Amino acid sequence: KHRQHMRKFKNKGKDAAALRMQRVEVSIELRKAKKDEQILKRRNISLDVKEGSLSPGQDRPDEVIQLSLEEIAEAVNGNNPKLQLLATRVARRLLSKQKDPPINQIIELGIIPRMVEFLSGADNAALQFEAAWALTNIASGTSEHTRAVVEGGAIPALISLLSSPHMHISEQSVWALGNIAGDGPVYRDALINCDAIPSLLALVSPVTPVGFLRNITWTLSNLCRNKNPYPPLDAVEKILPVLVCLIQHEDKDIIIDSCWAVSYLTDGSNDRIQLVVDTGVLPRLVELMASTHLMVMTPALRAIGNVVTGTDQQTQAAIDAGVLAVLPRLLRHTKPTIQKEAAWTLSNIAAGPCQQIQQLITCGLLPPLVELLDKGDFKAQKEGVWVVANFTTGGTVDQVVELVRSGVLKPLLNLLSAKDSKTILIILDTLSNLFVAAEKLGETEKLCLLVEELDGLEKIEDLQNHENNMVYRAALNIIEKYFSGEENSDLEPQTGQDGLYDFSVEKQDFNF
Amino acid sequence: MELSDANLQTLTEYLKKTLDPDPAIRRPAEKFLESVEGSQNYPLLLLTLLEKSQENVIKVCASVTFKNYIKRNWRIVGILVEDEPNKICESDRIAIKANIVPLMLSSPEQIQKQLSDAISIIGREDFPQKWPDLLTEMVNRFQSGDFHVINGVLRTAHSLFKRYRHEFKSNELWTEIKLVLDAFALPLTNLFKATIELCSTHANDASALKVLFSSLILIAKLFYSLNFQDLPEFFEDNMETWMTNFHSLLTLDNKLLQTDDEEEAGLLELLKSQICDNAALYAQKYDEEFQPYLPRFVTAIWNLLVTTGQEVKYDLLVSNAIQFLASVCERPHYKHLFEDQNTLTSICEKVIVPNMEFRAADEEAFEDNSEEYIRRDLEGSDIDTRRRAACDLVRGLCKFFEGPVTGIFSGYVNSMLQEYAKNPSVNWKHKDAAIYLVTSLASKAQTQKHGITQANELVNLTEFFVNHIQPDLKSATVNEFPVLKADGIKYIMIFRNQVPKEQLLLSIPLLINHLQAESIVVHTYAAHALERLFTMRGTNNTTLITAAEMAPFVEVLLTNLFKALTLPGSSENEYIMKAIMRSFSLLQESIIPYIPSVITQLTQKLLAVSKNPSKPHFNHYMFESICLSIRITCKANPEAVGSFEEALFLVFTEILQNDVQEFIPYVFQVMSLLLEMHKNEIPSSYMALFPHLLQPVLWERTGNIPPLVRLLQAYLERGASTIASAAADKIPGLLGVFQKLIASKANDHQGFYLLNSIIEHMPPESVDQYRKQIFILLFQRLQNSKTTKFIKSFLVFINLYCIRYGALALQEIFDSIQPKMFGMVLEKIIIPEIQKVSGQVEKKICAVGITKILTECPPMMDTEYTKLWIPLLQALIGLFELPEDDTIPDEEHFIDIEDTPGYQTAFSQLAFAGKKEHDPVGQMVNNPRIHLAQSLHKLSTACPGRVLSMLSTSLNAEALQYLQGYLQAASVSLL
Repeated sequence: KHRQHMRKFKNKGKDAAALRMQRVEVSIELRKAKKDEQILKRRNISLDVKEGSLSPGQDRPDEVIQLSLEEIAEAVNGNNPKLQLLATRVARRLLSKQKDPPINQIIELGIIPRMVEFLSGADNAALQFEAAWALTNIASGTSEHTRAVVEGGAIPALISLLSSPHMHISEQSVWALGNIAGDGPVYRDALINCDAIPSLLALVSPVTPVGFLRNITWTLSNLCRNKNPYPPLDAVEKILPVLVCLIQHEDKDIIIDSCWAVSYLTDGSNDRIQLVVDTGVLPRLVELMASTHLMVMTPALRAIGNVVTGTDQQTQAAIDAGVLAVLPRLLRHTKPTIQKEAAWTLSNIAAGPCQQIQQLITCGLLPPLVELLDKGDFKAQKEGVWVVANFTTGGTVDQVVELVRSGVLKPLLNLLSAKDSKTILIILDTLSNLFVAAEKLGETEKLCLLVEELDGLEKIEDLQNHENNMVYRAALNIIEKYFSGEENSDLEPQTGQDGLYDFSVEKQDFNF
Repeated sequence: MELSDANLQTLTEYLKKTLDPDPAIRRPAEKFLESVEGSQNYPLLLLTLLEKSQENVIKVCASVTFKNYIKRNWRIVGILVEDEPNKICESDRIAIKANIVPLMLSSPEQIQKQLSDAISIIGREDFPQKWPDLLTEMVNRFQSGDFHVINGVLRTAHSLFKRYRHEFKSNELWTEIKLVLDAFALPLTNLFKATIELCSTHANDASALKVLFSSLILIAKLFYSLNFQDLPEFFEDNMETWMTNFHSLLTLDNKLLQTDDEEEAGLLELLKSQICDNAALYAQKYDEEFQPYLPRFVTAIWNLLVTTGQEVKYDLLVSNAIQFLASVCERPHYKHLFEDQNTLTSICEKVIVPNMEFRAADEEAFEDNSEEYIRRDLEGSDIDTRRRAACDLVRGLCKFFEGPVTGIFSGYVNSMLQEYAKNPSVNWKHKDAAIYLVTSLASKAQTQKHGITQANELVNLTEFFVNHIQPDLKSATVNEFPVLKADGIKYIMIFRNQVPKEQLLLSIPLLINHLQAESIVVHTYAAHALERLFTMRGTNNTTLITAAEMAPFVEVLLTNLFKALTLPGSSENEYIMKAIMRSFSLLQESIIPYIPSVITQLTQKLLAVSKNPSKPHFNHYMFESICLSIRITCKANPEAVGSFEEALFLVFTEILQNDVQEFIPYVFQVMSLLLEMHKNEIPSSYMALFPHLLQPVLWERTGNIPPLVRLLQAYLERGASTIASAAADKIPGLLGVFQKLIASKANDHQGFYLLNSIIEHMPPESVDQYRKQIFILLFQRLQNSKTTKFIKSFLVFINLYCIRYGALALQEIFDSIQPKMFGMVLEKIIIPEIQKVSGQVEKKICAVGITKILTECPPMMDTEYTKLWIPLLQALIGLFELPEDDTIPDEEHFIDIEDTPGYQTAFSQLAFAGKKEHDPVGQMVNNPRIHLAQSLHKLSTACPGRVLSMLSTSLNAEALQYLQGYLQAASVSLL
């Protein structure tokens, strides 16, 4: 269920359109979903979490009372408010166990609708609170569990609780709603349609405690999350101004979650990217990209990476915000995923017009790129190859010369021995681009020599034996085109009676 | 065809006939089988035969025939076309798929392999959609416990899945892999574990172990294929199982699996090699996830290295394993695994030093297969050798631990040298290892051209040279300890840029002396070292070692070099020949006294090798040496050209008559050089050859084209009028060659060279009738396949034509081909493209030609072409003011033959046959800018006011400013 990594790629109808289109990632994944790099979709409130507002309910040990599941059901369904509270609290406690909370059993008791009823009992705040907490934890389970809560009618009740006069109750429902929204686009939109957003946003004020604000931010981020479909545009438009304020906050967790929210919003079509660009948040994102905290840097980089998949103007906005000054450090980051995302971001900038490629050169991106190609993590090297490929497709001849001067050829040619056919093919295509540039300069022979000196010719010749047909043909093509000659058969003379060539030609109409 | 006994019988007979050595019997049988292969049941008959035939030979033959039948016919190409019908009917397809797996598994190995191939061909088309139960069927067999069956399944799986190693990522591919993983990964893992357990229960049963280890190898290969595209979730979750077991297999040994064979790798080695590959795959692609396991593998692999013997059969395993360590130790985050002093010491001592030792196999190669030895040792084609791997590991370790590693090795080097000193004749191999160690430790970067370019500063190379290398080379006995002699010479060679010049000068007589060594490696290295020293650069772009410094050694050098060519095994030694060439080039006129003897020896050699040219480099340097002899001698004494012709033409004639293809391009180049040396009219001996040079067969070989064009140019320069008078009937043939060349994008510039010479040198009346044709041809090429190279050459040519025949003639001939043609060429080609012209002389030709068009072509002044006058002038000024191209300095001595431009396998340009650049307008126009000013002045005098008014109304300001500069410089003004 992890977020599909953004793979769409700029396509401006240049020659390499086909090349770039292929960057749309296959939707089948062989890999394990990686969770460490992003926030959780759902959060359970466990008893062990004692810090501040994370556990608004106070449990004193002497209050702990044991009840069987049957007793809980009986009490909840009964009419004794005291017992209702007691049983709901016991259920909530069971659900708060860190290991294997008995969510299924509680659901099977059929008490969810009853708990939803408790939510509207404005006269019994303690019960409201316990019920909201219990529902929060049920919703934090699997999709199945979340569904049980939603189908129990919790959404409208929780939304009304947002404006509860008791802050801890309002906070609890924020949390529960966050879990529901995190399930996927359907429930997210259900919340939006029930008008959850204005009530949520109303909770954000200069006096809102930090802990509460964290929860709100996280819930908002879940409302921005998921594709197919994306969240409705008008909802995004409502959330964005608040998000842009939150991202300026000094609390790290608030920053992280708001960054993720922005990254979700930019992971879409260009008009969605435009909404984000228009808020003027890009400089802040770039600033956060430079953060020393991995948890902050990751979503900020992701967001900026998404922005530069957009139009040339949107990419320019990111450049103007200073992305190129930060990328060198990230390309050299010790964490492979950061290297990779940074290289991916750069590859999209390199897919832009030559003015942007020029900025990439001026800002000193070539040396870290060459380093990355030389000794980066393999995933990052692959992206680095795309940078070079796009650069050579859209760059001017002078820019390509600059690229070659930066020493890119050696690591690039070394990567012809990579264990990945696609990477090899892209390198071969890139070499063809380089040869085209060399032809324009009349330096084909020089490039041939250089490729040969760097053991590239040997490798390309080897690739003529590659099992992959396209790789083999690309290699053969380079060898044939640049390491041998060709004929113009229509002008070829015949051999005459004297055994020598006949000198003759038929006249045609000329128009140059 | 029915599935009947009669048909089986018939088929058996035909199959038997296909094995007959007599084609008269075999061919019709093959034809028959082909004719019936479209019939229903034919494949099923074959399957029946391969299962049930009484004769083994028929079984095998049926299985091969079946496999080939599947290969040809299974694939249905797109929409069926008439001539490619679907030959296998659907019911046969279903029957084949239903039966082939059990049949394959129950067959003996020979047949199993054929059927396994057939399954993978079918699988490529039908799996997974049209053969959904294949995987389950295979996986179920894992439980059979019969490893013959299991290995059959594994082999088939391997041939089905190995394409995952090279195909591109795609939804379709990954869907298939996912399906395979879901069905196959867990059973494979279980099988892996079970097999390993069986290995320990059968640890004493050799034949069982062999089968089990074959399974393990296949399992390890399948692991590689399934993990290639990306790290699958299943394998990430089960990394512990796989890696732990791989790890313990790496450390496993069992006497029963050891083979006696010294050369061929056994099952154990193959398995461990594959495991190294698997670990390397994970380390390269899934570094993040593999990190926790990597240290264990590093340890296991180095332990493996420590315990693996010196036999050749372990070479691949050892070099794979060392390369794995080398690639890991360079990464910053694994640095810590190696940094402990004890670890470093133990790697140095137990992994590196032992693998640098000179082994019996090396000694054998040194003596008996010296060519291969030199290739590996000198040219670096040693990628899979242990020494190379050990060397790479040293370099990798030095990246982070240069100091400690140098320290550890210094100790070893000293103790090895001491061992040697105790008893040289027994312990010479210790010194060899010491030298090798110093070399690999000291060299950080190396190129063929310059030797070591970056050295470890912690190693005192000169001291080692003086104390340990020179003494060996000074020894009076050149044939003693040849390996150490070769080591010493190689040391000079690669550290030539680190060792001070005075030491190099002291070494030169020693190297010359070692040209006499009997060992091929030693005298080859001596020649090579001399050649490299002679190419070193000193200050001011001269050679480091001067001809004057070499004066005392000229005679002995030449004598020893030529004598070395007579030593057994070195008659076509390219290193010696290259050293001869380089010596000539360095020594210049001091070789003249020896030329008579030298040229005799060279022509004898030429005659001998032309019988069967086999060493291209040797031949190349031989021709270079011949060219140098000619140039050096004729420079001092031009008359000597006759004696060279006398010495060489006999051999050349033989080469041309026998059509020795390898040598013909060289012969043409030498002949060009000789012909250009002549000051007078072309000698008749050359004229007799002229018609032969136009033979199409010569021009069909691309390698002949550049030297032949050059030779024809020499003919035209020296003998145009002779050709016009004595060989006028050959002019169409000559132009035919031009046409042939112009038709080729690769060779069109050669065609222009020829055409330019024709226009420049032939008397106008002799080519008058062909001129229009020539232009039509060029226009046609321009229209149909325009390239930058063609345009550049075309522009130079038309301007040359304009200079030779006048601007008016140019305009007239263009317009006679098609009305308004001249204007079109000006507007569409000359004006927009002229700036592309490069080269001093080429630009000058264009400048002078355009000046003529501007000032000597009346239609430019008073027809519709007038509107092009200003744009053309502007283009010309642009041509003047472009930055000049860098000219190539005159340093041909340093040209490395392999590095000369013009990569073309067939043509080898002789650097020393090169000709001086020809400037056809040199005498006429010195400064083209002043020439323009003067010509404009003349024009303005003829029609006062016109030029000035055009200039002032339309020429842009910047151009006008430049033009005023030219006028000033020429001290003229316009009227």
